Order: sequence, then C-alpha cells, then structure tokens
Amino acid sequence: MMKKTTIITQLLIVVAIIVVANLISRNMYFRIDFTEDQRYTLSKATRDILKDLDEVITVKAYFTENLPAQLAFVQNDLRDQLVEYEDLAGGNLIFEFINPSESDELKQEAIQSGVAPLSINVVENDQQQQIQAFLGVVLKSGDNTEAIPVVQPNGGIEYDLTMAIKKLAIQDKPKIGMISGYGSPGLSAFPQLVEQLSVLYDVEEFSIADTFSIPTFYRGLIWVAPKDTIAPIEFSKLDQYLNQGGKLFLSYSSVAGDLQQGALQPAPNIGIKNWVAGKGLIFGNDFVIDQNCLPVTVQQRQGFLTINSQVSVPLLPRVSNFEDHPITEGLEQVLLPFVNAFTINNSDTTLRINPLAFTSAKSGTLPAPGYLDIQRKWTEADFPMQEQILASSIEGIGAGNGAMVVIGNGDFIINGEGQQAQRVNPDNLNFASNAIDWLADDTGLISLRTKAITSRTLDKVEDGTKNLLKYGNVFAPILLILIYAGIRKQIRNRRKQKWAQGNFA
Amino acid sequence: MQKTWIITKRELSSFFDSLIAYVMIVLFLGLSGIFTWLVTTNIFVGNQASLGTFFGVAFWSLFFFIPAITMRMIAEENRAGTIELLITKAVSDGQIVMGKFLACLILVIIALACTLPYYITISQLGNIDDGSVIGGYLGLILLSASYISIGLFASSLTQNQIVSFLLALLISVFFHFLFDAISASFSGVAGEIFNYLSIRAHYDSMSRGVIDSRDIIFFGSIISLGLLLAQTMLSKRNWQS
Repeated sequence: MMKKTTIITQLLIVVAIIVVANLISRNMYFRIDFTEDQRYTLSKATRDILKDLDEVITVKAYFTENLPAQLAFVQNDLRDQLVEYEDLAGGNLIFEFINPSESDELKQEAIQSGVAPLSINVVENDQQQQIQAFLGVVLKSGDNTEAIPVVQPNGGIEYDLTMAIKKLAIQDKPKIGMISGYGSPGLSAFPQLVEQLSVLYDVEEFSIADTFSIPTFYRGLIWVAPKDTIAPIEFSKLDQYLNQGGKLFLSYSSVAGDLQQGALQPAPNIGIKNWVAGKGLIFGNDFVIDQNCLPVTVQQRQGFLTINSQVSVPLLPRVSNFEDHPITEGLEQVLLPFVNAFTINNSDTTLRINPLAFTSAKSGTLPAPGYLDIQRKWTEADFPMQEQILASSIEGIGAGNGAMVVIGNGDFIINGEGQQAQRVNPDNLNFASNAIDWLADDTGLISLRTKAITSRTLDKVEDGTKNLLKYGNVFAPILLILIYAGIRKQIRNRRKQKWAQGNFA
Repeated sequence: MQKTWIITKRELSSFFDSLIAYVMIVLFLGLSGIFTWLVTTNIFVGNQASLGTFFGVAFWSLFFFIPAITMRMIAEENRAGTIELLITKAVSDGQIVMGKFLACLILVIIALACTLPYYITISQLGNIDDGSVIGGYLGLILLSASYISIGLFASSLTQNQIVSFLLALLISVFFHFLFDAISASFSGVAGEIFNYLSIRAHYDSMSRGVIDSRDIIFFGSIISLGLLLAQTMLSKRNWQS
C-alpha cells in the first residue's frame, strides 16, 4: 500500500524530469540525416568554405518576431543552421537576429540592405490581420554586402547562405570565357546561366579570333552553338590551351531541327566534328529519338472547333538516364531537343572518355535530312536502339591534363534575346553549371547546387501495368491478411475439435 | 521482461483470435490503399517516387484506429474483473501496462509492414529516397506508440470501452491538430510551446528523413507519461488516502 500523496509526488517528479529533459533537448541535440543526398546535413563544400574564411562575416537575420508557428519554424531552422555555421567558421562568422518590427529605422535598414518585406495574415484578438513581416538575411564582409531577400520555407537555406558567403569571401573571381564569334550567341543570350555562374566566376565574352593564343587565366571556356566554319588556326589555339591544362565546355549539335517547319537538316560541317573526333568522341550524323520525350500541344481543326491535343515528339528527348558523376549528381531531367548521339573511338590511351548522359533504353535515330510529321504514330519498332550517349567528358588532354565536356545539343541553355527569350529548364542550367564547376572549380559547390532538388519522377508505365500496380497494391495486402485469418481460424477449429474429443496433447 | 512478453503474446493472440486485428488492419490497408493508389491524389497523378501520400493518410487513419484498439485493453479487464486474476499472477502493474502496450504496438507495426509492397512498387518505378521512407515509418511507429500510451491511460480511467475510446480521441485531438491550430493564433513563447506540443511538427520533421534527438525525446516523453499514468491508475486500488 502506498500513500496517495507519495504517488502524486512521484508523478510530479517524473513530469518535472520530462519537462526539463525537453527543455534541455532544445539546446543540446543531435540529428541523423537519412536522406540519400544528405539534404539536411551541411555539405563538405560548405564546411570547406567556412574553414577557409579569412575575414569576419557578420550575418544579420532580419526576422519579424512572434510570427505564426507555421513561419516561426523557418527562423528556428535558420538559427540551427547559423549555429552550425558559426561553430565551423572558427570565429570568422558572427550572427544576430534583428526584429525589424521594433522600429521604423530597423525596417528601413532591412529594406535598404536588400531584405524584402512580406505581407502575411495573422490572427490577433480573434481578428485576422495583415502584417508586414521580414524573413531575410544580410551578410557583410568589409564593405561588401550580400542579401537573401526572403528565406524560403523548406527551401535550400544552406545553398543560399553558402553562396552568399562564397560571394563575399572571393577576393578575385576566376574568369570564365564565353567564346564569341563564328555564329555563337553572345553573353546576353544566356542571362540565367550567367547569373548562376557569376556567383563564383567573372563570365566575359572572349573572341578566339582576336587573340594570338588563349590566355591561361581563363579557368574555363564555354563554347555554345557555333554556326560558321571555323578556321583551323582556332583549333590549334584551343589545343594549345587544353594542353596547358585548360578546360572547355562545348555545346554543339551536328543536326538542326525546326519544330515549326518540321525540317530536319544536318548542320553544316564547320570543323568541330573532326576536331572532337581527334579526341576520340565521334558526333553522330542522325537525330536521336527517344520514347521518353516531351509532349507538345498541337491545334487541330475539326469543323468549326479548334482542339488542342498533346502529341509526344520523340525528337525532344527527356533525359533522365545519367552516369554516376559529380556533374550529374542530383539531376532529374535534362531536356535536349534535336540532339545527336556520340560514339567513342579512342585510340589514345592517355585520354579518359566518360559518357555522362544517355537516352532511355528505348531509342532510335532519324536520318538527316528528313521531315518531321508531328502527327506520326510512333511504334515500338521505331525505337530499336538501347542507351545512346548524349554527353561525355574527356579528360587527360595533353601534358597539362586539360579536360572537356561535350554535349550534342547547341541550344539547351540558351534563353534567347528580346521577345524570343524563354526560361530554360532548371536541370539544363544545373547540368551546364555543374559541368563548368567540375571543369573549373575545386571547392565542391556542385553538390550544393543540386542539393535542394526534390523532384523524383516516376518512370512511364503503360496503362495496363499502371492499373495492375494500383489495384494490386490496394487488394493484395488485404487478401493476404484475409487468407491468414482463414488459415488461423481453421487451425483453431481443428484444435477445438481435438479438445472436444478429449485430446489435449 | 519474460512476464511482460507473456502478456504481450496473450494480448496479441486475443487480437488475432477475435476480429479486432483483421478489421483494424483491413480498414487501415483499405483506406491507405485507396488514397495512395486510386483516388485523385494517387501516386501516379503526383508522378513522384515518394510515399508522402501514404504517410499523410496513415497519419490520420492511425489517429482514429489506435483508440479503437486500446479502448478495451484495461477498461474491459476492469469491467469483467479479469484484471484481479491477472494481478494475482504475481505480475506488477508496470509489466501489465507494458505488455499491453507492446501488443498494441506490434499490431500496428504488422499493419504498417503490410504496406511495404507500396515501397517496393514505387522503388521499382522511380528513384525513391530510402531515408525519407525510413524516417516516415519510424515517425508513424513513434506516433502510434504515443497514441497507444494515451489510449491505455484513457482505458485505465474507466470500465466503459466507448468512454475509453472517446477519452483517448479527445486527448489525442490536442496533440494531433489542436495544439497546431492553437499555435497559429498565439505568437512568441506561447506559440512556440503549442507548436512544440503538436505531434505534426515532430512527425513532419521525421518523415522528411531526419532523426532529431528533440523529436525522439518528445515522443519518448508522451509515451512514458502515458504509460506512467496508466500504471498509476491501475495501481489505484492499492492507494491509501
């Protein structure tokens, strides 16, 4: 027998212990990140950048206090992350949280520093009100400032923070040259790519024809979609640059398609194919077709009606089959319309050629010249080929260990200019940026760029298979449970019968 | 431990010898299956190799099913007087509560294990993140364990199974969504406390694939508090005023 007061006291002590344990756990905690890409763990690139900081970076997080809990967790996540950053930076990173709602001066300071005010709904005194809120971060080092206007809920806080720190920490950005001339589009045709690359590099146009040799201060060169015949002397300059350890990202297609006109033409021979073939990578002369492709909307007139329908066009491959490589890590889907394939014929043992991206296992080719019939009914027989190489890296060029990444499509990262400009598929940009980082940067930021990618698309399955999977998953487990129930009932009944007969063994 | 395990096995057998286990598992699988694979929110519509839809459905269905499992665990024994028989077998109140708790938890784990074909199917169709799946299942197990302990406590308060069910549901409602909803109306420390008490916040954190000691301690706290209260209520007969 125990006294009631003793029991209540014991209960209160246990409750107190639980409360204290929860309070302590808020400040002393650990996390195990089971995600495949360690999405919620600071990457090696971040750790390296923080360890290498030479100057103190101050981080001011302008966060409105007393936000609804649905947004307050962003502040908690950021605070947790900044604590880790502070620990790793060894005194070179200091952070503070400022509540801009305390005064108009602080609000002005936040806005002038680049933090964007947001309008959010809150419930106060049983009334819904709209308030101005701040969820931004400003980083300062010396006279330089970088701002993250809004920290996105569930977004890549690490990517934003590390990029901002990297921008501040870089004293002299390495240069990347965008080769101009010979029909290649200028820098202004790549606003998205240039924006992404300008975090780490100074990207500038470079005319290969105007120089005697390519300066080695270029950490890398980008050459996209040249159209005019290239003089052999330019290839000699490129060879010299690569032999000295230079790096080149080449985006060029040996075929030219036009979706509007339906024309499928071979690209004029401007010399690139032969030059790249000398390095063991052979451009195909045909268009690649892939069963895994983009649909396009087609308008059809039926009487007075205009009907929009979706038509799959295998000449617009959706590439999701990648080699396991730093360039392709985290990529989900690169769109490569009118692409050519490559074959490898490498007789030089010092060169290392690694394919990076492939078609699906159901692919084929269409000869050029030809004509695209958008209404064509494609059959399995049109896709007799297995995986074809669509992009590849070449390493070990010359004594300086130069490297190239070659992709069989000239337009996949071009936004265009003026009214023709359009946004580029994010993974197309990531592929190009990763390739350039892999060629030109050694800090490992490649992994960080694709860290926030969450899209994991399902493979395409036929309707029959889809229905089988759907109903199989719903009913098969239930059926198994019912079968087990039946068997168990049988066993019980038999046992009961034995007992009824006096057999208790 | 051996005595606890004997009670667990006895309770599990009684689940599977009656209709309770089958009704619970079949309903759980039916609801999960329909919402994951057939209705408009199904996996093929979302086109993502993720079990997020299933975890969302299970989060709600377990909330209703668990009180239905736990409602009779102690209440019925109290009503029928069989608890007295159990107590004369020289087992402690703690062992009784723990045995019943483990039996309910194993039943829920069996129900969850029946959904593994979902994972196998999706992993064949796309690049599913195994970490999120592990986190999601672990989150569901901890959530279930929390509701089982609450259910056992509710069952120890009364001899009526319906009252026990409703009590368990009432307490769980706070953790399941009321604290979350209340936290939206409060700001500052109060908002943070209510948000911390919300099971959803901790479950969401785990189901993204991150095992955080704070979430484990939170779930552990609810489980131990529920079991302790159930044990205390069970030992009420021994109290002296």
